[in-house]
Amino acid sequence: MSFGRPHLRTSYEQDSAIFPTYFQKGAAGLFLIFIVLMVLGNGAAGWIPTWLFGQTWLNPLTLVLPFAIAALGFNILTGVTGQVSLGHAFFMGVGAYSAVTLGGKGDGGVKACVPFADNIGLLDKAGECGLGLPIWIWLPLAGVFAALVGILVSPAAVKVRGLYLAIVTVGLVFIGLHIARMLPEYAGDYESGRKWPKLDIRIWKEEVPFIDMNEDGKWLGLIYLTEEQKQFFFLFAILLVMMAFAKNLVRTRTGRALQAIRDRDVAAEVMGVPEQHYKRVGFAISSFYAGIGGALWASYQGRVSPVDFSLLLSVEFVAILLIGGAGTIAGTMMGTLFVELLPKAVEKLTNWLSGNLDSGGVIGDLANIMLTSGPGDFGPVSTSPTAPGWPMSVFLWNPVIYGVLIVIFLIFEPHGLFGIWVKIRNYWKGWPFSY
Amino acid sequence: MKFKRLLALFMALGLVASACGSSETDDGAAGESESSATTEATAEEETTTTAAPAEAEEPAAEIATDFGVTDDTIKVGLNADLSGPFASLVAEIVEGQTVYWEVVNANGGIAGRQVEMVVLDSGYATDKGIENYLTLAAESDEGVAMISENTGSPITAAIAEDAKDDDILVIPLSWASLWADPDIGPNILEKGTNYCIESMNGISFLADLVTENGDTPKLAILSRPGEYGADGFAGAALAAELLDIEVVYAAEGEVAGDDRTAVVTQLVNSGANIVWTTLTPGETADIFGNAVAQGFEAQWSGNQPSFNYLAHLGGDLAESFDQYWWQSGYTVPWNGNDSEGMQDLVAAFTELRPDNNLSDVYAIGWMEGLMVQTVLEQAAANGDMTRAGIVAASQEVTVDFKGLGPNQSWAGSYNDSVVRESYMFDADATAFDIQPVSSGTGSTGLFIEKGPFVSEIVADYVFDGPCI
Amino acid sequence: MIDVLLLAQESTGFFPTFLQTLIKGLALGSIYAVMGIGFVIVFKGTQVLNFAAGGIAMAGALFMSILVNDAGLPFLPFSNPLAPEIGTTPSIPRWLINLVLALIIAAILGMVLERIAIRPMIGQPLFSMAVITLGIETALGPFNRDATSLTARSLQIPWGLEQWEFLGAGIPKSYVGAMVAAVLCFLSINLFFRSRFGVAMRAVAFDQEAAQAQGINVGRVFSIAWGLGAALVAVGAIFYGMGPFPPQGTVSQEIHPVLAFRVLPVIILGGLDSIPGALYGGLLIASAEVFAGQYLAQWTSVLGAGYSTIVPYIVMLIVLLVRPYGLFGSEEIRRV
Repeated sequence: MSFGRPHLRTSYEQDSAIFPTYFQKGAAGLFLIFIVLMVLGNGAAGWIPTWLFGQTWLNPLTLVLPFAIAALGFNILTGVTGQVSLGHAFFMGVGAYSAVTLGGKGDGGVKACVPFADNIGLLDKAGECGLGLPIWIWLPLAGVFAALVGILVSPAAVKVRGLYLAIVTVGLVFIGLHIARMLPEYAGDYESGRKWPKLDIRIWKEEVPFIDMNEDGKWLGLIYLTEEQKQFFFLFAILLVMMAFAKNLVRTRTGRALQAIRDRDVAAEVMGVPEQHYKRVGFAISSFYAGIGGALWASYQGRVSPVDFSLLLSVEFVAILLIGGAGTIAGTMMGTLFVELLPKAVEKLTNWLSGNLDSGGVIGDLANIMLTSGPGDFGPVSTSPTAPGWPMSVFLWNPVIYGVLIVIFLIFEPHGLFGIWVKIRNYWKGWPFSY
Repeated sequence: MKFKRLLALFMALGLVASACGSSETDDGAAGESESSATTEATAEEETTTTAAPAEAEEPAAEIATDFGVTDDTIKVGLNADLSGPFASLVAEIVEGQTVYWEVVNANGGIAGRQVEMVVLDSGYATDKGIENYLTLAAESDEGVAMISENTGSPITAAIAEDAKDDDILVIPLSWASLWADPDIGPNILEKGTNYCIESMNGISFLADLVTENGDTPKLAILSRPGEYGADGFAGAALAAELLDIEVVYAAEGEVAGDDRTAVVTQLVNSGANIVWTTLTPGETADIFGNAVAQGFEAQWSGNQPSFNYLAHLGGDLAESFDQYWWQSGYTVPWNGNDSEGMQDLVAAFTELRPDNNLSDVYAIGWMEGLMVQTVLEQAAANGDMTRAGIVAASQEVTVDFKGLGPNQSWAGSYNDSVVRESYMFDADATAFDIQPVSSGTGSTGLFIEKGPFVSEIVADYVFDGPCI
Repeated sequence: MIDVLLLAQESTGFFPTFLQTLIKGLALGSIYAVMGIGFVIVFKGTQVLNFAAGGIAMAGALFMSILVNDAGLPFLPFSNPLAPEIGTTPSIPRWLINLVLALIIAAILGMVLERIAIRPMIGQPLFSMAVITLGIETALGPFNRDATSLTARSLQIPWGLEQWEFLGAGIPKSYVGAMVAAVLCFLSINLFFRSRFGVAMRAVAFDQEAAQAQGINVGRVFSIAWGLGAALVAVGAIFYGMGPFPPQGTVSQEIHPVLAFRVLPVIILGGLDSIPGALYGGLLIASAEVFAGQYLAQWTSVLGAGYSTIVPYIVMLIVLLVRPYGLFGSEEIRRV
């Protein structure tokens, strides 16, 4: 029995296990412990530092979860099937708007759900369409609708390949934005959007939700959780289910077909894998994930505007996949954490540096070099957020650092964070011998 | 096998413990420790009463506080767009407020406390704006006493309900008529008049001009999608109805996307002699430039955000703008009058920011500062600087803008609290000359033509709620 | 509600309007074509789809505005001896000399970016390279935004907004300028491909390793492709900055989205590796866009506000359904 040596499988069961190595089992266990500690951190045990679980990091961390779900879908399409798409934001949008149409509260009644209701005289003034259904209806259907739309556009998408596909899907994003602008009854105001249903579990449309996720308190009368923790756990549970599904997909006939298409599409077709059919399947599954992710993201945020589903969002997923390492679930998770938390970390870093501006020592010197507090100082980063021109403010540097990190990553570690992990693992595998 | 599992578990536990331990010490060494901040915060769920320190300059009165106010500082939050489409504008507004607080702090602060700004960047993205709001409104030591600037209608709409729940005061950097709505609560403290009333005043002004020349006014209204566009459009349409002006082209929310050929075509063909725009500066320049190039002549004006003197009076279209454009606004332009407020503003900038270029929008940040100071001083006088106390204080005060804009109070009904005055400026391309503040010369090219004024239709109209 | 009365009578006749629209379509098409050629050169030379073109193009336009406005050169200690006197509009020859200078600086920017970010990636999958350029685009954005936020960056166009009258239609000089620029770019690129470097580039595009084995300096070919590509997109940006195009004679954020993504349908339509394709694609897409904007205007309520912005994408989708490799692109040979 090996202690987590990669690629060494001693039994067939082990090869097809969800966590094939001890390390992975250990990591999963560690994570469970982290979660238990988080619950215990609610005052019951005072020795656990609350900053670890407080709002400061929990909110951003929760925000990562819907992205992680959508990124899993992107991984299935791009990492597993090898089809590069820049239209993921579009499918997230489809999911989000399905969710708000089914689950949101509308002021115009069912009539408002007819497109152009005000133009054809059904209503005096365009209202918002929302049926107010509970989450167990709108969440799966958000995924299903996104998948259906994915199948709908797939005839165009399966015909083209490579960069052509990437650009075609760019078109999809822009057309989606136009449609959202045309249909305010679903999308709400073009800039400020509309309200999404809250993350509460209701049996039907009753007033008091069956499981309330927007108040601190005992969950199911058992454990005390804050509002933020409840939402974190709920989204995390969904992520786990989606992860298990994604992990399993790769091990099925469909998954193997998708990988065959990625590796050599012509060879796959010759061997009897119907290429177009499986590409369509890949598209549909990926869109399903995107739809679920989009619906959860919008509903966690509470309000999202159509412009948020822009090309930049799609690009974020590409960055996630390439930084994390394409084709693996662990890589996708690492990539999502990295890309979504990086801007926040950069912000914290500059804050911390400016706090140490006059502290002396190495850090103080570094801060002096980097930061400009007034005229005559030549650091590239201005501590005043408000002065335009050179030196630029921290807020303008954030995207620069983000872009540069993407470039650096791809140049030095084309296999992403997962690749780094593999390197570390391989180093320790043979330690203290290099081979 | 079992033993190994146990071992793994213990190792994992050890890792966690050591990780927590080491990070904690790191944090402690790093100076301002985040860990202690939030630890205290969770314990400090309820409102605590702290005595003002003995060494404070103000008489030691008992002031109730909760978040963002300590014995020696008051934190105010700004949810600003510093990297998005309005970055240049908002950066200068934030600068105006920064200088204001520098002056106030030098004079002893508010109630013996120094005012500290917490500036976060939204990039004008709703999701980032909500995130920033959650950080600012956190019920912990990281939270602020009030939000002294929240950029943009979309983000303000997105957080309005949360602000009501959290009972925190928010000054929006947006002039939508929604914010005075009692449904949105007293928490959103709008300053200046709103887009809707501004449109009504502006169209009255333009209609008078055209009538004086012996023409019958024919109005074209151009607006972009979204609340800003809808609000400006609603006001313009209302003005047309009240003044009985024919609307020859109504492009409600039709100015969208990068290509505006369709709008220009219809505008030029409509035969309008008054054009009212509720657009962004880029859209205005495109439509205005193309319409003028096609020989279209009319009196143009639009809601304040439609126009940007830097882009419009500094570019190739400067002469055309000089000829056809009247600018509407809510505040006095740089050095635009010799009121007390303007003198204070110019003096403060000349002293503290001599190298900055002059700008019309410093006044907006300065006015935000005046509002916050008046409200906070009232709250301190009431002995209640909790978030709820600050909200309550905002309903009791009248803010004196010292001639920078019409004075304002927020008590009473919607109709009582909306500001009805706005300004009309003449755009003068030859005078446009941006210089550093210290030079004492230069101009943004905008001069008060009329104002603060209230048109007849606005004065008589009863506003029973937002225009949209 | 208010009575909305759309006046039916046209202020100008049918023919002048048509002519004006046609000229506008051709001018916009010229800009799309120049930008498209910039994309295609980079793709032909280095197999990279350059998503950073928007950022580079805008930087090029900024260089131009710095040269003609500030009499200084960006980040260099000495000043520009050829700059027009401050506060004056340059004469056409002087403006053109500054244009050439700006293009050289843009080309240097392109070459530097290639050397830093693209060269180490030779041999990596197409997609990784494309994402690198997305990273560059993200990183360039704030610089451009910061530089445009201080003042209106005028391009000091010698002919400003002047226009010629022709058969009752007003024809802006800028439109003609854009067309002339496109023709010149197209001709010089064609000449270039007949030169030694051009042949080398075609060889590299065909097979990098074989070309290297034949003694071709692949690195230099990469460098030249990026330099040319950057200069071409900068030409596009500078001419798009002229009124009556939306930026109206200044370098503003208005330029950027157009350059970054609207050109994609053009090169897809023409084929990623075809220079005549970029020319025809640009003209076709721009004409479709402008004519739709002009003649479908009364259907705005049905088509949705801003419908003409998505016309390029719809044209692209339709063409791709019929011809998956564009109108002029060479079909990829799929080997097992």
